[in-house]
Amino acid sequence: MAVAAAIVAGGLLDLSAVALANVDDDPKAEYDGRFSFLRVRVGQPLGMYRRLPPWAHDFPRADFHFMKILEEITFVKPMIDQGNIMTLDDPDLAMFPIAYLSEPGFWTMTEAEAAGLRNYLKKGGFIIFDDFRTFHNQNLFDQMQHVMPDAVWQPLDLSHPIFHSFFEIKTLDVDSYYGHAQWLGIFEDNDPQKRLIAVANSNHDLGEYWEFSDTGYMPVDLSNDAYKFGVNYVVYGMTH
Amino acid sequence: MFDALFRFFFALSPVVFSQGEFRFAASTGSYVAAGAVAVAAALTLYAYRSGHGRTLQRVTLAGIRLAILTIILVCLFRPLLVVKAAVPQQNFLGVLIDDSRSMQIADVNGKPRAAYVKDEFGANTRGVLKALSDRFTVRTFRFSNAPSRTTQESDLTFSGSQSRLGAALSGVRQELAGLPVAGLVMISDGADTADAALGEAILGLKAESLPVFTIGVGQETLSKDIQVGRVVTPKTALKGTTLMVDVVLSQSGYDGQQVTLDVEDEGTLVSTQQVTLPNAGTPATIPVRFTVNEAGPRVLRFKVTPQPGELVTDNNAREALIDVRDRKEKVLYFEGEPRFEYKFIRRAIPDNDNLIVTGLVRTADNKYLRQGVDTPDELVAAFPKTREELFAYRSLIIGSLEAAALTGDQLRMINEFVDRRGGGLLMLGGPRAFAEGGYAGTPLSDVLPVVLDRSKVMQKGTVMRLTVKPTRAGAATAVTQLGANEAASAERWNTLPGVTAVNRVDEVKPGATVLLTGTDETRAERPMLIFQRYGRGKSFAFLPQDSWVWQMHASIPVDDMTHENFWRQLLRWLVEGVPDQVEPTLTTERVEPGEAATLTANVVDPAFVELNDASVTATVTGPDGAVADVPMSWDGEHPGQYTATIPTKALGWYEAKIDATRAGKPVGSAVTHFRAAPGDAEFFDATMHAATLRRIADDTGGRFYRPSDTATLADDLRYTGRGVTTVEEHELWHMPIVLMLLVGLLCGEWGYRRVVGLA
Repeated sequence: MAVAAAIVAGGLLDLSAVALANVDDDPKAEYDGRFSFLRVRVGQPLGMYRRLPPWAHDFPRADFHFMKILEEITFVKPMIDQGNIMTLDDPDLAMFPIAYLSEPGFWTMTEAEAAGLRNYLKKGGFIIFDDFRTFHNQNLFDQMQHVMPDAVWQPLDLSHPIFHSFFEIKTLDVDSYYGHAQWLGIFEDNDPQKRLIAVANSNHDLGEYWEFSDTGYMPVDLSNDAYKFGVNYVVYGMTH
Repeated sequence: MFDALFRFFFALSPVVFSQGEFRFAASTGSYVAAGAVAVAAALTLYAYRSGHGRTLQRVTLAGIRLAILTIILVCLFRPLLVVKAAVPQQNFLGVLIDDSRSMQIADVNGKPRAAYVKDEFGANTRGVLKALSDRFTVRTFRFSNAPSRTTQESDLTFSGSQSRLGAALSGVRQELAGLPVAGLVMISDGADTADAALGEAILGLKAESLPVFTIGVGQETLSKDIQVGRVVTPKTALKGTTLMVDVVLSQSGYDGQQVTLDVEDEGTLVSTQQVTLPNAGTPATIPVRFTVNEAGPRVLRFKVTPQPGELVTDNNAREALIDVRDRKEKVLYFEGEPRFEYKFIRRAIPDNDNLIVTGLVRTADNKYLRQGVDTPDELVAAFPKTREELFAYRSLIIGSLEAAALTGDQLRMINEFVDRRGGGLLMLGGPRAFAEGGYAGTPLSDVLPVVLDRSKVMQKGTVMRLTVKPTRAGAATAVTQLGANEAASAERWNTLPGVTAVNRVDEVKPGATVLLTGTDETRAERPMLIFQRYGRGKSFAFLPQDSWVWQMHASIPVDDMTHENFWRQLLRWLVEGVPDQVEPTLTTERVEPGEAATLTANVVDPAFVELNDASVTATVTGPDGAVADVPMSWDGEHPGQYTATIPTKALGWYEAKIDATRAGKPVGSAVTHFRAAPGDAEFFDATMHAATLRRIADDTGGRFYRPSDTATLADDLRYTGRGVTTVEEHELWHMPIVLMLLVGLLCGEWGYRRVVGLA
């Protein structure tokens, strides 16, 4: 309810200034010390949905909605007036240590991108994979194995700090419109006592809930939960 | 030379003149003669009143003639020097011989100082000692840390590890008390290694009018020598700390030469570097970097490789004791907003490190994330509200947190945390920090090393982009050492990516030191890391808001440790020297074997209020395993300060564990170490200290001699006026100088007449 209340308190989100997604513009934020929601642009699209490549699904509404919520609820100082899209081999990626990759089921990479992500994660970066079904897990695993051959995906349970970094998430027993969600993660050195360097919402699509949270298309409770996961991910990524 | 000339002209020693009393022994004939001289003077004046020559010439000639008559008149009145002279063999003479190790230095015509001493003072059948023995009953003493009688040459071993001139003089004065003593003779290089001043001993000698005649053995400057003059190290360090230590080198005879400066930790080489020696007489400070990785009391040895031809090689090394502590020290990091600076600073400190960064992040209004807490209750009510709770941490980092988030009492507590508790405070740059965060005029603005001006703040939404590099002062600290050596470190700073800052600081406090500066886009220099001491503690201001860029930036290799090393060093500095509730101090880390060590401990309660009613005990474990409980008592003068004197017997390390309790409840405990070992101070500043010896002689009415001048010593000692004396009268009219003056004046008159044509 808190999240929904925040949306209402914020007068809903004024996205009139935001043109329909034209991802060819590739909005790229200039780093100025603030947090920016970094959406990762990956390889050639295998298909389009709503005239967008898979990695751009829900952009820009999801990104902007989420940043607005983050600013309203937490003390994080995000950029809320512009999007931020980069490829994994972009040197400026390093200036934004939390990245979001949508639809990893369609993810392909160049060697340079794999090296870019590898360095990013080893130095301290954190990546969120969202919006994919269980049968896309294998592509995610394959791609990440290319990035970090020794990395092991491990299921996350509710005791992990990422589910308590801001909101006290009470259950991971979540059904999204893809089905029953599953949370996976990669730990630094594959040690569950160390920090998460990647989290994946398998069979879930937080971005979809963020995107349509002001429309009434999605149940408020599910949108709230989606924001809670997102906020927790960001706070975790900025503190661990 | 001066003495010989003096004797040639005056027929007597200068000492006789200094000790004697001037008198005339005029007889009736003297007055008759005086009348004749007066007549002669009148006739002279009359004769030169007029006549040949110009006025000036006549005045000059009259003056010469009157001078001759005056000298004759003085001589006719029989001038005398009356002096008390010691009766031969009726008086005692104390001879003090320096028996310390520095007397082995071979700088007396290529021979050791000790060789001169043995030749001249080894036996009363030869040398100066024979001359003295012919006139006095001589009592010979050797001294290093204390004087003792010596009766034979073999007693002199020149192996003492100290030279306590004051103690030697006082000791011998007391030993000879009640005897007719003509004076004391001290043979030494004058290097006094005692902590106490000589003044007290000299006052005692002056009170008894007992003169000391000193003989300085050795050269005042060594022709070829390298010395590690001073090493400044912290007394304690946390395990794993990289230290930057200043080593002061001086030399003579090796201008500009390259030498190797090594640092050994209990025999293990931990640092080596080539250094260029400074010019003679100009000490150079060399920064040396090394890491202490072994816990416990560690003796660090700073050593310059001996060079060919060096007169003294024992002063090429200095030792320093560092108590390396292997314990967890907690730093509280209060961050006002989730941000990457927090994450990467905490990440720079590995879990197994001796530092624990306990994080408290305000994620939203009245919502906090705690990390690194020891108990479920720690920081559960957010930032500490009592001094006891806050003072349990050793240092405090305040991130992007506005002043209004803290109560007035919490701000005062932080001030006291630094001022009274002695903790370290670091404020980080951020939108809510410094003047932008409303700290101007708060108790924290006093603590911080920068001047906060609420009228000069950064406009919201603006950001400075800066490249950062160390200042000259900063380059001498461990925190800026990013490379294996100075050049590599400078290169690393030059290639580091830029950072941003959102706080405006135009001015630092007087007494603050700028360690890092940043160059902004307008080429203006701005302070970035500033340090100052405040009360018992210290404070830092770090202006960049995103030093994490030094970790994440694309130009930084994955395995680069720049960011980690910077923060590990800075946080170690932050906790360095922060006192515990029981904080021991020692007067010196080393005592001579058999001497007592003075142990002091400051005892405070959890709010760091001094306790005078605690029960404090030092459990001392000696090198032989012997354990003794030594009670420590409040010194009655300094609040919370307890002292004890700990005797030493065996050579080696002593561990003192200090436990303090109050009303049966433990207050705290601490461990410190000291050692009983012979010192090496003898070989430092090992030149002959003529000034010290001259001061002793001048202040007591004696004289200072060099080995080449001692021929008159025995005679000079006769006229000290002490002991059993007889009165001697020395006629002065037949001194050679009188005859020379008369002849000179007569010749002068004749010569002048020849020159001016009046002959």
